[in-house]
Amino acid sequence: MLTRGTLIYIAQRLALIVFTLIAVSFLVFITVHSLPGSAFESERVHGKALQLVLHQYGLDRPILVQYWSFLTSAIHGNLGVSFQIRGLPITPLVMRELSVSAELGGTALLITIGIGTTFGVLAAMRQNSWVDYTLTSIAVVGYSVPSFVLAGLGVLIFSYWLPNVTNGVISYPAIWTGTYGTLVELSLPAVILGFYTSGQVTRITRAAMLEVLQQDYIRTARAKGLKSRVVTVRHALRNALIPVISILGPLVISIITGSVIIENIFGIPGLGKEFVESILGADYNVTVAVFTVYALLIGIANLVVDLLYTVVDPRIRY
Amino acid sequence: MAISTPVLEEYAGGTVAREQVGLWRDGFRRLRRNRLALAALVYLTILFVVAIVALFWTPYNPAAILPNTLTFLGPSAAHPLGTDDLGRDLLSRMMQGAQISLIVGVGTSAIVLTVGVVVGLIAGYFRGWIDNVISVFINIFYGIPGILVAIILYLVLGRGLGNIMIAISATAWMDMARLVRGQAFSIREREYIEAARASGARSGKILFGHILPNSLGPIIVQATFVIPIAILTEAFLSYLGLGIPSPLASWGSIASEGYAALPLEPYMMLWPAVALSLTLLAFNFLGDGLRDAFDPRQRL
Repeated sequence: MLTRGTLIYIAQRLALIVFTLIAVSFLVFITVHSLPGSAFESERVHGKALQLVLHQYGLDRPILVQYWSFLTSAIHGNLGVSFQIRGLPITPLVMRELSVSAELGGTALLITIGIGTTFGVLAAMRQNSWVDYTLTSIAVVGYSVPSFVLAGLGVLIFSYWLPNVTNGVISYPAIWTGTYGTLVELSLPAVILGFYTSGQVTRITRAAMLEVLQQDYIRTARAKGLKSRVVTVRHALRNALIPVISILGPLVISIITGSVIIENIFGIPGLGKEFVESILGADYNVTVAVFTVYALLIGIANLVVDLLYTVVDPRIRY
Repeated sequence: MAISTPVLEEYAGGTVAREQVGLWRDGFRRLRRNRLALAALVYLTILFVVAIVALFWTPYNPAAILPNTLTFLGPSAAHPLGTDDLGRDLLSRMMQGAQISLIVGVGTSAIVLTVGVVVGLIAGYFRGWIDNVISVFINIFYGIPGILVAIILYLVLGRGLGNIMIAISATAWMDMARLVRGQAFSIREREYIEAARASGARSGKILFGHILPNSLGPIIVQATFVIPIAILTEAFLSYLGLGIPSPLASWGSIASEGYAALPLEPYMMLWPAVALSLTLLAFNFLGDGLRDAFDPRQRL
């Protein structure tokens, strides 16, 4: 499976990711530093004292020098220190928040794929029936209703209207304890996040299933007398999943975008919440670090998806 | 859903040759058969009228804290949608919100359309180093969530209606440029382009006279889908408190204030939630309808 060509391809892609990271972090670094205001400005620190603090954090140097020192220490895994919480090293902070976001995003991704493929297959099996129309409408509603609307609705139902069911807040005994919370505590944010992206999966799965179901080999399989369930799952669904894998990359991006909102609504201490807080507090180093981590995540996700192709569809070779 | 009946009815009159139909007439004829898209169009027309009316008249001043008015009033004759946490009239604020959503949506789409089409045409038609530069730039930002870039850029540029459109366009134009580039890439190899070039047409004439009109279908569809994305992004930003500066009312900021007041008064969250959802649904249905009508090859 891992031929020489594949390895060269992976190496090329990794080089591209590194190049992208440098370019993106540079652009963000320059842009963020041109933001008005600074984390150190206050009525107590000004004049000479401010200069001293700026000097201590290396902020009085030319911007390119600052970027170079950021880059060289970032290569060694040191993303610098926070300005808001003076001197707090960012790398452990970001790693902890990454694990929280990954827990939320991973759960949401599973929910998205689960809902999306199920709906897509069901809709395709009953094309142009009320089942089809209902499920495809739910898909459009899914990506049309903003997540904060669903969040408001969810909180209203589970915390205010059904307080007896949920004891006011949503907390149940643990099924699985992650870095942030239990799966049940995460369920409302994760379902809302996953529902938003599931619409895309539903549409792609439905379209792919419809196309596959018209192929000759499906007719052959049916003619052989195979049960409809076997034909659907083993012959049709397998091939219909290839396009679904192709949108996994954009899906991860959608989930990251959505998680920025969801984390801020529900107060989940992940990367998205940190991003917004850091930029409001002019905590440049954190902003650049979070942005770079996001870019790295997306680069790796896209690479993994492209490699998954070769596993699912042996015709594809790199 | 889009069930387009075959062209048979055109032949019913006995004409043998099919009459020549332009892109627009053909597209709108197909769009007319799509009931969902039509309903969306009707809703959006009403919304546009409301937004235009709000330019000249709202029941109260949307920014004014009304004297002798209670906060969190439910719907009543004086205040059909109630009042908000400061005692401002919610109907007036919702009308202003409609205006802002539509300006941001359509404005962003216009910026994306202009920049994306020009850049995409240049990259796809001239190729060479200019295409390489543009493609590398687009590939670097491919996949970077637009909302992150928008947040940073918006704060750098400073708050305001124009800047929020620029901030959202900053990544949104790339998808358009990618699409147009691909179109230009394939169309420039057709015979009629060769014929045009042989008869002495200049590059500008070929680009805007031949290549652009022949890729209009997908461009229109893409431009329509930019509108809900822009509206949603603006609502998100306003919801996070990073959007349109107050006291201007945005549906996102009303929803955010409503979310804080949820246990006291669900109405305040309800109106922007319904308005936003319906508007985004309408634009998505319209986009789907336009795709079926103008770009039948990429039906989903």
